[in-house]
Amino acid sequence: MTTAVEASLARLLDSPGVIGVALVDAVTGLTYGVAGDSEEAAGGAECAELAALIVERLGQAGAEGELESVITTSARRHQVLLAVTRPAGDPLLLAAGMDRERANLALATRSLGDRVAEVLA
Amino acid sequence: MTGAPARNLPALLQGLYEEGFTGTVRVSGAPGGTIHLRDGLIGAVETPGAPTATSVLLTPGRIDDEAWLAACAAERDVDRLGGQLVAEGLIGAAELEIVCTAAVFDAAFAMALGPPGSWTLSDPEPTLLATPGVEPRRLTEETTRRMVQLSGPWGAPGELARVRPTPVTGSGPGRWLPHRHQSVLNTVNGRRTARDIAFTLGRGLYAVMLDLTRLEALDLVRWDAGREPGARPSTAPRVLPERRSATPQPSRSGAGSGSASGFGSQSKAEPLPRRRPGGASRVGEGPAREGPAGQRPAGGSNAFAAGKDGGTGG
Repeated sequence: MTTAVEASLARLLDSPGVIGVALVDAVTGLTYGVAGDSEEAAGGAECAELAALIVERLGQAGAEGELESVITTSARRHQVLLAVTRPAGDPLLLAAGMDRERANLALATRSLGDRVAEVLA
Repeated sequence: MTGAPARNLPALLQGLYEEGFTGTVRVSGAPGGTIHLRDGLIGAVETPGAPTATSVLLTPGRIDDEAWLAACAAERDVDRLGGQLVAEGLIGAAELEIVCTAAVFDAAFAMALGPPGSWTLSDPEPTLLATPGVEPRRLTEETTRRMVQLSGPWGAPGELARVRPTPVTGSGPGRWLPHRHQSVLNTVNGRRTARDIAFTLGRGLYAVMLDLTRLEALDLVRWDAGREPGARPSTAPRVLPERRSATPQPSRSGAGSGSASGFGSQSKAEPLPRRRPGGASRVGEGPAREGPAGQRPAGGSNAFAAGKDGGTGG
């Protein structure tokens, strides 16, 4: 059965090169839904921990402002964590795995960022 | 329920899942709670230990009270209230699913903080449901992960749940903090437990406890584990002082680890009992009690934690 979250996430798979996406609670690490290749989207708990660690270290280094995204690149894949803010409630993370050959990282990140608000609709 | 009685809550829920049970499981204990099942899946868990999905929506004003009441009036069947909220455009279907699912996991975690109690099954009761609901195995695994995650120098998560953190004064003013850490910090006042903060902010208990550990690591809050005044001692005196020998012991029912959250029945006027080294303690009275910090393994005999067999169901 497709849930409302999964249905929203599935729409993001249209973006070129996006292989898998997951919607994760940025605080608890709970995964609310996955679309596409779940392996490529990475585990929720790890995503949340990674993002929390980065926020903490950036804070120690004197950086200010909420986290926007974490981008990891490798020879074959890109992994993007995008912060999803909501009107009320704890922040979420959209984790997206991309095929490096097919995805233009800048464009794909931009388009995911533009569409991220749709996920909660 | 058919067949042999389940040996613990996870096993019970797994059995009900396989049966496709629709109804309600009431779990006694501290904090205890009510688990709502639909076709075997867990649609909602209500417990005094954590805010429900309704509080998470209403407390921070995600949906305002009047719109909420209007939706409740338009849809009398609370089981379908979620659909009504979405139809009225008050919240997106995906966001509602997120809130309701998060509340199920959070309530299960809150229940796992206390010792497991017995349970009874009854007919379905209408409530705001996560659709389609959560599989019990996933709920149990996630709860176990959370219990492990929140075990630290303070002991088991149950110990952390009863501390009343205080803000550290004069610690590096001007340091930037994420909004939600700032709001937790503003709510910490030395009197509130994590549960109180969760209810005040309309956030999940587990999320608040995690944030508290991060703020503590940053030296922005602190707590004295197990020593905060006013809390019921985690080890009650088994031998009463002579002069009070006629005084009944504080009631055991409804106490447990929920006591730090305002459920304790001991009056503050009584002197705190003192533990004596090697002092006598009667074994085998009532359910297993939580010992002093660190004596109990994390995820031990907790409701909802996987892999234990100390359940008292049936």
